[in-house]
Amino acid sequence: MKRFLSLLAVCLFLAPSLALAQVKIGVINSMTGPQAPIGENLTNGIKFAEEDLAAKGIKVQLIWEDDTGKPQVGLSAMDKLATRDNVVGVVGAYTSAVTNAVAKKAEQYKMPLVNPVASKEEITRQGYKYVFRVSATTGDYAAILLDMATTLGKPKTIAILSENTDFGVSGAKSARDYADKKGIKVVFEEAYSPGSPDYRSTLVKVKGANPDIMFMVSYVADAITLMRQSRELQLTPMAFLGAGAGFSTDKFASEKNISNAVFSSTQWTPDVSWPGSKAFGDRYQKRFGKTPTYHAANAYISMMIMGEVAAKAGGDREKVAAGLRAGAWDGLFGPVKFVDFDGYQNQNKHQMLVEQVQDGKYFTVWPQALQSGKAIWPFPGWK
Amino acid sequence: MTIFLQSLLSGVLIGGAYALIGVGLTIIFGVMRIINFAHGDLVMLGMYASYFLFTLGNVDPFVSIVFVFPLLFLFGAILQKTVINKVLNALPQNQILLTIGIGLILSNTMMLLFTSDYRIISTSYSSGSFRLGEISVSTPLLLSFVITAAVTAILYWFLLKTDTGQAIRATAQDRDAAQLMGVNVKRMSVLATGIGAGLAAVAGSLISPTYYIFPQVGQPFTLKAFVIVVLGGMGSVMGATVGGVLIGATESLAGAYISSGLKDLVVYVLFLLILLFKPAGLFGKSRV
Repeated sequence: MKRFLSLLAVCLFLAPSLALAQVKIGVINSMTGPQAPIGENLTNGIKFAEEDLAAKGIKVQLIWEDDTGKPQVGLSAMDKLATRDNVVGVVGAYTSAVTNAVAKKAEQYKMPLVNPVASKEEITRQGYKYVFRVSATTGDYAAILLDMATTLGKPKTIAILSENTDFGVSGAKSARDYADKKGIKVVFEEAYSPGSPDYRSTLVKVKGANPDIMFMVSYVADAITLMRQSRELQLTPMAFLGAGAGFSTDKFASEKNISNAVFSSTQWTPDVSWPGSKAFGDRYQKRFGKTPTYHAANAYISMMIMGEVAAKAGGDREKVAAGLRAGAWDGLFGPVKFVDFDGYQNQNKHQMLVEQVQDGKYFTVWPQALQSGKAIWPFPGWK
Repeated sequence: MTIFLQSLLSGVLIGGAYALIGVGLTIIFGVMRIINFAHGDLVMLGMYASYFLFTLGNVDPFVSIVFVFPLLFLFGAILQKTVINKVLNALPQNQILLTIGIGLILSNTMMLLFTSDYRIISTSYSSGSFRLGEISVSTPLLLSFVITAAVTAILYWFLLKTDTGQAIRATAQDRDAAQLMGVNVKRMSVLATGIGAGLAAVAGSLISPTYYIFPQVGQPFTLKAFVIVVLGGMGSVMGATVGGVLIGATESLAGAYISSGLKDLVVYVLFLLILLFKPAGLFGKSRV
């Protein structure tokens, strides 16, 4: 009995130091389902972070959860991570709809959540203490594009087209608000259901409204359908502005006759002048044979931050949250710091970028201080 | 007026492809009384077949149907002989589970093999159009509609004029009576599934130049086909043809006059109304 007790005592004594040696972090991401093509970028970014943390002597054990793009699946993933796996923090999810649901749950569990890419404004506007967002918000997406548009030209009217999801509706609302602020008249606004093969009836109406600029919030596939059908109907505004993932993928750029001169706001590009960006892009290209989207960089930096903070805090969630609140970082994603402002809590003020497709290639064209190419304005017409 | 004509035109043209998918589903249902919930995934297989013929063999997607139809016909026939045939007399819920299962296996196998990346076929005419007065006509959509019409015409000729076609219709009307009259109903079931799968795949090939391809692309088409078939009358080829065009046009007009986010709502309200006043569907005969 005595021996058993002493053994127990040794075990209890060892347990915390074992926990210190390895931190358990949860990941929620859309690894399958319709969002999987972008989800893959997050997965790969996080894998790079895992390697780089290991190189720094921080061994993280990642628990991967697939939300399949559905909020309810994300919720049960959070339950599992918080109660069964007992992780010290979570990085995720991908889409705004899932992240918004997961954030609420994280707050209930007092689980530090670093949100890498979901940009719906409300996510960090609900007084949450444990939700930290690296990503810019949909408001930033709209603002940078319209700032650029009003500097380069004198647009008076705008048409706003978005998908009817959390991300799309939030993006459209931000665009409308910012357009009002800038004195640009909204002449057309509509939310479409994504995945349809035919948007012509909507685009005909846009054409009738004859806007100076066209603002679209879309994911991958719809972006291509929309631009193809815009070409079909010969829509020629001053500029096509894309806020969202759909307009900043290689696939989109490679469709040269529909992608040329389309602007897209993004959070990161491989050619931006932040330290390490180019190396990250090359490393990604070499390993996976693809150019990374901004999601990969967001996810990478989110996991780096979470890993470093969690390692310092040991197994304590409160300490992790405190560490996230107090820290400041700098790297390939520019400066990162979680602050409270404009009704946001623990929100990173991220410098957005605008990239433009020029002959099948992306160039960072805005802001001018960070640009790698000059913007083509106005839209030169269809090829 | 321009908006009306433009929307109606593109709706009818895209409805042609819907009709083809619906006709495939209705033939399978007619002959075997099984609703094929894997139908959309057959459309997806057709898309992938066209994609690989285009990228690897440089075959135009519209020409590729010459290869895609026999390929998927064979696939459908084998599927019927090996799997579906086993549940012909099983409980309806078992049949449903089986076809849903087949669909899941198909889409997930494709994901395993080709990842979930979106694939796009870019032909020289993918976003081409020409003007007809005030309205612009999409070249790929018009071409696909013409081919759809031709395929449908051949199908009608086959079902109405040939012996095999008549045997298929006889089986659809009354399986037992057809068997008593010497029709080989087992063979007809295999044929019908093959034709159904082939038609779904052809529709996939025809949509592929203007759409995008990924493993889960089929699921919305299953639902759409189901609505079209019920709307037109279960088992009625004529009904599915009209139903497809009707749904296409309704979607498009609803998108133009109400909101594209609400077009599904309009489609389903129309669907419910028709079922309310004509429970057997537009061309359906109520069976007792």
